[in-house]
Amino acid sequence: MMNSKKVDFRNAVMRRSTGIAMVAIILIMGIRAPLFFAPANLMTVLKQSGILCMTAISITSVLIVGGFDMGAGAMVQLVCNLAAGMIISYSNPALSWGVGIGVGLAFGLLNSFLVVYLHIPTFVTTLGTMYLMNGLSALYNKGTALAIKETAGFTVLTQGSILGIPNIFLLVILLCGIMHWFFKYTRTGLRMYACGENRNAAQLHGLNVGKYLILGYLISGTLLGMTGVFQCSYNYGASAVDYGMDFLVKALASAYLGSTFSRTNELSMIGTVIAGIFIAALSNILIINGFSNQIVSGVLGFVLILSILLTVIKKRDIGQITIF
Amino acid sequence: MENKTIKTTAFSKNKAGEFFKTYGAVVGMFLLLIVFQIFDNRFLQPANLWGICKNSAFLILMALGMTFALSVRGIDFSIAQVADAAAVISAFLILKDVPPMMALLLTLLFGLFIGLSNALLMAYLGVPALIGTLGTMFIVRSFELVLTNGAQPQVLFTMPRSVTGTFLNIGQGSVLGLPNVMLIGILAIVVIYFVRERSVLGRHMDAINGNVRSAFLSGIDIRKTFAAAFILSALLAAVAGILICSRAGSATPRATESYLNDCFVAVYIGTLLSKDKRFNVLGTVIGCLFVGCISNFFTLMGMGNGIKQLCNGFFILMAVMMGTAHLRKKN
Repeated sequence: MMNSKKVDFRNAVMRRSTGIAMVAIILIMGIRAPLFFAPANLMTVLKQSGILCMTAISITSVLIVGGFDMGAGAMVQLVCNLAAGMIISYSNPALSWGVGIGVGLAFGLLNSFLVVYLHIPTFVTTLGTMYLMNGLSALYNKGTALAIKETAGFTVLTQGSILGIPNIFLLVILLCGIMHWFFKYTRTGLRMYACGENRNAAQLHGLNVGKYLILGYLISGTLLGMTGVFQCSYNYGASAVDYGMDFLVKALASAYLGSTFSRTNELSMIGTVIAGIFIAALSNILIINGFSNQIVSGVLGFVLILSILLTVIKKRDIGQITIF
Repeated sequence: MENKTIKTTAFSKNKAGEFFKTYGAVVGMFLLLIVFQIFDNRFLQPANLWGICKNSAFLILMALGMTFALSVRGIDFSIAQVADAAAVISAFLILKDVPPMMALLLTLLFGLFIGLSNALLMAYLGVPALIGTLGTMFIVRSFELVLTNGAQPQVLFTMPRSVTGTFLNIGQGSVLGLPNVMLIGILAIVVIYFVRERSVLGRHMDAINGNVRSAFLSGIDIRKTFAAAFILSALLAAVAGILICSRAGSATPRATESYLNDCFVAVYIGTLLSKDKRFNVLGTVIGCLFVGCISNFFTLMGMGNGIKQLCNGFFILMAVMMGTAHLRKKN
């Protein structure tokens, strides 16, 4: 009797190891810098995590269907530039939203066309379109930053707060809720999961895998387009520095780290968002602790490798080393 | 009789088709170069072409490393970052009064270390190559930024020539009119051609590229082969980094990162030059020269980074599209 309880306890710890490790890291680092736990700073962390969480949610929705997107960061940057340009020239946020979502959908369509109809591997397809997007951003902003002024009904979306909670975090919660409901409680969403987990089995069960892949790319394209517009609002414009790769690594790290919450390493929206907040908190706490900005990217790389290691080490099989 | 003639014409038609399937891409590239020449007549002048060949050596070294990684169905994102770090480390060590040859050796050891850690992660722990090397790329970037205290350029050419002479001579000197860089490039091409296309290791890579499972079942140590690909690619990147540093006489952190884009374009264009659209050494080399030509043309025309990136994407997608279309027709 005692014994089984012990085992249960161990199991429970093992199952929550990622969460425990996250809390432990934050606590240990936090002891050195109690400033981190000030409510104002915690809200700042939530605000900082907003764009990252949105990018991560978008990339998760394409990872769930078994696709991949190298160009997630590049897309956010392209749309951010376009949205800033629209506000500067026409001072009309509605136009930004239209262009942002339109461009997102267009690239989602292009990606899915290349993947589903021309049978190009997802990695190479999105690598190619990533360069297309980088090129378009550079052509559009001509190497200069596009700064926007405070615009009514636009900047408040990400800069404002309700009862002290940043608006952008509320938007993330809303988005996460919708996507979680879609992927866990609708027929289409569950079928998309099935396509990603075992393509052949899904096909044998009569699912049109291509259709769900297209849907995945369209959803993720739309979400990335929206994220780009939010990024424009959050940053007061677009920067000319190419940050696509950094965004991609952060988003991938959140998605894979989020998947370690579940015992079967299933990607989930809630896990992704929690991991996204953890990554933002980690960057924040490193800087409060006096580490320089330069090592943050190294820590991110480390987190990325570690999170994927946790998921693959259990199913380390002989034929599985070469993925992508 | 009639039957026979039909057969022969069909055969010759097939032959022409076959020729275009194999070399169509080369013909296309030549046509593009001629178009470039029409736009700007400085382009096809011998001095300009010589310059392109000379400057392609760095890219060729890195792209050959990428060819290894891709031919075992892996990928190496850290390649340009390792070259960058190697350049910075060699300059940093020489500035810290380490003898140049010692610095060179230590930099190569750094490349070997990154290669080994990549090999451990990817081949033995089973991390997907894409994710693992992206992580490595960010860790290496962080490392070199911390080393140089925030991307400060490491300048060697202001030091007395008596100290740095031997090191700078590697990249700047020449033997019998041929620049050293070019000689090293040619040597690397020859050696790697034999390793990749004519050795046991290369054959094992081909087998893995065809079918991992059957390669494993036929007794190939797939983990070792996979590891070798990553070690070779990191080492080649380190050599490229040393050459870049010694040629420029200085190293700025994050300055050579853009080689990654060119690497991808060169390698994917290279696949078009083989009959069954595989990654191959000679194709990669021609791809590198082609990428060199494109970059050079854009510089001559004064066009910016945007157009170049667009072309990168376009070339990668075109190359892969043609490759997959060909393979699907065959199956």
